[in-house]
Amino acid sequence: MIHIGLIGNPNTGKTTVFNALTKSYEYVGNWAGVTVEKKVGVLINKQGSLTDLPGVYSLQPLSKDEGVTTRYLVEESPDQLINVVDASQLKRNLYLTLQLLEYESRLVMGLNMMDMVETRGVQINVDRLSNVLGVPIIPIVARTGIGCKKLLDCASKNVSGRGEDRPQTVDYGPQIEPAIAALIDMLPQGKISRRWVAIQFFDGNEVVTDWLSERLPAEILRGLYDQTEQKVRTETEADGCHMLIRLRRSQVISEMISQCMLQTKVSQTSFTQRLDRLVTHRLTGIPIFLLFMYLTFKVTFEWLGVRLSDTLDGWISGPISEGIARAMEYAHAGEFIRSLIMDGIIAGVSGVIVFVPQIFILFFILSFIEDSGYMARIATVMDRLLEGVGLNGKAFIPMIIGFGCNVPGIMAARTIEQPKERLLTILLTPLMSCSARLTVYSLFVAAFFEAHQAAIVLSLYVIGVVLALVLAKLFSMTIANNEPSLFIVELPPYRYPQWKTLWRSTWEKGKGFMRKAGTFILAGSVVIWLLSYLGPSGKAVDISHSFLQVIGSVLSPIFAPLGFGNWQSASSLITGFFAKEVVVSTMNILYAAPTEEGLKITLHQFFSPLQAYSFMVFTLVYVPCLATVAVIRKETASRKWTWFSVGYALIVAYLLALFIYQFGVWIGLT
Amino acid sequence: MNGLDNDIHSQRKRVRSAMKLTDVQIGTKVKITSMFAMNPFIRRRLSDLCISEGSLITLDHLLPFSGPCMIEANGQAVAIRLKEAECIRVVAV
Repeated sequence: MIHIGLIGNPNTGKTTVFNALTKSYEYVGNWAGVTVEKKVGVLINKQGSLTDLPGVYSLQPLSKDEGVTTRYLVEESPDQLINVVDASQLKRNLYLTLQLLEYESRLVMGLNMMDMVETRGVQINVDRLSNVLGVPIIPIVARTGIGCKKLLDCASKNVSGRGEDRPQTVDYGPQIEPAIAALIDMLPQGKISRRWVAIQFFDGNEVVTDWLSERLPAEILRGLYDQTEQKVRTETEADGCHMLIRLRRSQVISEMISQCMLQTKVSQTSFTQRLDRLVTHRLTGIPIFLLFMYLTFKVTFEWLGVRLSDTLDGWISGPISEGIARAMEYAHAGEFIRSLIMDGIIAGVSGVIVFVPQIFILFFILSFIEDSGYMARIATVMDRLLEGVGLNGKAFIPMIIGFGCNVPGIMAARTIEQPKERLLTILLTPLMSCSARLTVYSLFVAAFFEAHQAAIVLSLYVIGVVLALVLAKLFSMTIANNEPSLFIVELPPYRYPQWKTLWRSTWEKGKGFMRKAGTFILAGSVVIWLLSYLGPSGKAVDISHSFLQVIGSVLSPIFAPLGFGNWQSASSLITGFFAKEVVVSTMNILYAAPTEEGLKITLHQFFSPLQAYSFMVFTLVYVPCLATVAVIRKETASRKWTWFSVGYALIVAYLLALFIYQFGVWIGLT
Repeated sequence: MNGLDNDIHSQRKRVRSAMKLTDVQIGTKVKITSMFAMNPFIRRRLSDLCISEGSLITLDHLLPFSGPCMIEANGQAVAIRLKEAECIRVVAV
């Protein structure tokens, strides 16, 4: 059983290589202390495992998430490393390769994107490069799978030999080399190359520094570092060890490249550049994006998604329900069990299943946008707007997705590197009015605002967006103002995503959603059912004598100033916590109006148009649904922020609805 | 101490004499002389992408309303905010 680590720059097709080399994989929890999930796959040839490491440009981490790669090298000592290198960006990629060579483990390089290199008129002498570096190099085109089998064979056979036999690649000069030697002397021999540890230490790698502090006294480390830093500053042009190390490495890389790479033709304007001109143009950029989003939502929620959902819904409420009902009759199941299964579990399951086609389609399109490279352009075009409120262009996509469903929107916030901006995005995405809330709006606007349905619904979406922008500004100035807002994004060449990668990516995200959201919505449905089934005196006679009613009555006075101080509204809102669309189905039951028409009529007895609007605003903001809260908890890894997201939403919802209702009453609307 | 002062002094000199990347005409190739005042995180990221003092880059596009700048270097395309782009001092080649 060999354990291989897969390392490379971001955007090198590493994921594609991972998919080509593994037959199955799973997430084995998070890496310690971060929200990055650890992905381990089983090799196709069944000889071991492949661990996918986050893409990095250098082992020196800029954030805790990036520290994962170094931590892996320090703690897990893999048998073999596969370094995926983008052949069209050799200079940049070799910077990481050099550091991996210094690590002195077995290493095989997969030189990817050889097809792009050819079209750009660049020739790489792979054999010479392999000699210079001292590692086997397998040219591959991961997208089509060319070379991948050979790569796997090479890695599995461990033919690359141990690192000590390799030529020492970089001499760091008379200031640092003696310091490296001194540090090596202080360390006992272990599994990890001491030279690598020393170099990383002087390069400023915090993970390595921490690791060393456990083995050597901090003052000695500090002293050695400062001494060397001083020497470098006075004796060289560099302003520190890190810079000198970088300069030396760059020189070595330039030499290697001049020996092994040749540019034979001048590159003309590429397809990517031409497309970018269109996509980032001041006049066409945003319209193109809006069109794209419009089509996305159309496909997901109307053309394809809804049809599939309805079909599934039909099966569940039709043949499947009937089948189960009959089975229970046959088994003489008691009334409690029957009600639990039919009204609790089946209702809950269908609540989740209905979502599934739409979620998968949404994730598919999202993966497409990510893999094709368009996502980076969207972030760039939208950055200016978001910069104004303390956010980052990358926050845009999560929020847009949030209009469909908050859960995948929040999951999409993982692409934001900066912790502060990621947190803000996660906290504010629930303000994007999701499709579940739309079911509540549909009901009320049909009942009260028949002539202006679209306008009223639009006003609610706009309120959500405006609120998000205002709160973003507020939060970034107050609670999250410890870091500046930063933006930098690499714009990879446009490429047509590979099917297998897309599929795996979609399946991963969809499965995560189903597991998390599904569990909670299902559990929630059962709880609601239980509260409506049981009452203070045992089994409730009907729902108006159940626990749900009791809780609703206790809470209803709180809602009186907002215009809807009746227990049915309060109870519906409570159930809405589990999934917002449940508000409607609860109202159906509580107002004893099972049909849509009947409910519309009944509502008029309980609400005025102003009160209806106030209710809708409250529904828009009040709390994220339970599934969303669960995802927030997971993505922030913090109870404090999860509670905060629930708390601030409640408070803002209350104040806003209060304001709207009282203002409306004051100016004479009833 | 001496080495440090010289370094800052010479950097400041370079900054004052060279022009800002954002003042350059779109599409012309220029060489970076200084990235002195830039936020260290962005500066480090750019050097990860082999964009630092001495690199040859081209300004591809400036997004409207003082939006981000798109830069091309060594066949890579990167977008950074105007504020950071203004810290990049260049000379013509």
